[in-house]
Amino acid sequence: MNVIEVENLVKAYTDLALEVVAVDHVNLTVKKGEFTAIVGPSGSGKTTLLNMIGGLDKPTSGTIRVNNKDITQLNSKELINFRLHNIGFIFQSYNLIPVLTAKENVSFIMEMQGENRKTVDERVSEILTAVGLGDRMNSRPNQLSGGQQQRVAVARAMASRPQFIIADEPTANLDSKTTEKLLDLMEELNEKENITFLFSTHDQRVVNKARRIVVLEDGKVVEDNENIKQ
Amino acid sequence: MKEIIKIAWKNVWRNKKRSVTVVVAVILGISAGIFACGVMQGWVEQRIDAVIYIENGRIKLYNPDFLNNEEINNVIPNKEAVEHFLNKETVIKAFSERVKLMAMATTSRGSTSLMLQGINIDDEKKVSKLYTCLLQGTYFEEETSRPVLISDKTAEQLRIKNYVLTTEILDSLENTASIPNTVIASLRSIENIRFESENKMKKEISSLLDRKDVSKYGFDVLKMSEQYRLRSKIVFTFTDKQGELVNQIYKVCGVYKTANIMYDQSNAFVLKSDLSTIAGLNEGEIHETGIILRENANEENVQSAIKKAFPELSVLTWKELSPDASLVSEYMSIYLFIFVGIILFALAFGIINTMLMAILERTKELGMLMAIGMNRKRVFSMIMLETVFLTMAGAVAGMLAGWLLIQVTGMTGLNFSSFVDGFEAMGWAAIVYPTIDLFFFFGITVLVIVTGVLSSIIPARKALSLNPVEAIRMNN
Repeated sequence: MNVIEVENLVKAYTDLALEVVAVDHVNLTVKKGEFTAIVGPSGSGKTTLLNMIGGLDKPTSGTIRVNNKDITQLNSKELINFRLHNIGFIFQSYNLIPVLTAKENVSFIMEMQGENRKTVDERVSEILTAVGLGDRMNSRPNQLSGGQQQRVAVARAMASRPQFIIADEPTANLDSKTTEKLLDLMEELNEKENITFLFSTHDQRVVNKARRIVVLEDGKVVEDNENIKQ
Repeated sequence: MKEIIKIAWKNVWRNKKRSVTVVVAVILGISAGIFACGVMQGWVEQRIDAVIYIENGRIKLYNPDFLNNEEINNVIPNKEAVEHFLNKETVIKAFSERVKLMAMATTSRGSTSLMLQGINIDDEKKVSKLYTCLLQGTYFEEETSRPVLISDKTAEQLRIKNYVLTTEILDSLENTASIPNTVIASLRSIENIRFESENKMKKEISSLLDRKDVSKYGFDVLKMSEQYRLRSKIVFTFTDKQGELVNQIYKVCGVYKTANIMYDQSNAFVLKSDLSTIAGLNEGEIHETGIILRENANEENVQSAIKKAFPELSVLTWKELSPDASLVSEYMSIYLFIFVGIILFALAFGIINTMLMAILERTKELGMLMAIGMNRKRVFSMIMLETVFLTMAGAVAGMLAGWLLIQVTGMTGLNFSSFVDGFEAMGWAAIVYPTIDLFFFFGITVLVIVTGVLSSIIPARKALSLNPVEAIRMNN
């Protein structure tokens, strides 16, 4: 079953009167439960592509269908609601809310979704335990290491069981050991919860873990290697 | 919404130093504003109290001609019927009938013109609190032939007032005015010496004490040394009913002082029976009736009723008799709200600035929140609540501090005696007892919330204008 279907996607900017095509007629299909890395050099259009798939940016042309729904037709209000209920985000620099505890950072998104207290508490406890922070639930971000903060971010992205998770350079700020642990964790959660992961990365260690690698160059898909691990 | 309230409250205390600075500024601004309003309200209420309970009563009745020409013959017509009507009206608490004559007061040392008011003591006490303003002597309680009650200002003008530090006063200075023994010892050289004017006394005190002691204790010493020559004789000259000039000697039985120098220097009081007889007025002939109403009675309604019954009379409320006090009373709330509004307006700039700084620092975080699905309504609510919380945290403490300050000074009074002449010349008390009413407090609470909400608009709009993609990319 396809979760994401991208057809003829184009994103062009005008920079100092010059047209720059960041994403150039990209076609991409992502199936449920895939663990996909989008790789390519800086400026190849990875982040722009993910932003458009995540509903954060509007394409110049082309369509993006998530579960058969064309999100390019949604207005900004509908897009915010779509993101809240369908997509989990993991950012390079964690982006946790410093005044909230790990538990509150994770529960916040579920509360915005309108989940009841009991469901929220159970799921937050379950997911934080799954990412190995069951004993740090009441710690604030500044009391956690970088790796622990990124694990909270993973828990936050997964808490509401989204259709897919977009992770933009999730390991860029982490050391090797922490990266390894985080990737193992995400892989485990991907398998256990069958949540689709879509990464953009430079990191070879992430590439090594991916089961599908999409290579972008100058905004075009130049390589798409599926079922690498199988 | 619960999660938004929680995060907004926590965000307020994210940068404690900055938030505390803003909160302290709000506390100082609001408490000072409320206290200043309390002082103003206290002053106005004291002024209105004096206008009603000393100077005018709530309503006064006249022969219309008397208002244009204070002539002895312009007495209230049909007085018995008026009396009967006033006695019958249940909303009228008391009334006092007066005889009023313009007179020249003369002593061997000075003279002044004033309005001589003939009163009935028992009736007058029910209408006027003047008997509470006595400095020395009695309110016609001594068995004296033709007693007169004059003001401190009139005593000064007639040189009945003088200054002397008696042995008893000097002995009591340490306890009553906390004046050190060394200063009292220096003052002993003028013990029991009488000075005829304030200037002479001041000069003598200045020569005995050093400048620091003069500025610290001079005012108290001067006030304590004030003496009046009670039972002094004053000759009053006025025109009687037949148009003849009449001279009559009265003896000072007491000296009063209100907060209104203008009133003081133009009014002296004698017994109505004495004045009527000498002026040749008949038993029932009076020039003015002062009326006090019961609590909650509407003076305009009573005025209309009297006017309807006696169209030939001039029926004036205190508002018409003292338009200045009425104007201040009427627009007082507006003045106070404008005053507090100006303070809040200034504070709003500080709050907006703080919130804009907070948003600038949290651009990336706000971008993330919008990216993960926080909608515009929630972002706006969060910023608005943060601003309101920041404002209210200071405002509640500021209002409490202002209220406490008013309660304390409302009991002790604030002494502006150093500026006494300036204030009293305008009819305002030198010692003010600040007060504030609940309506005003409620109004301020609403204003503070409105300020918080309005102050949040610019920062919230700034937050809403962020593009999540660009905000997340920022390095802050």
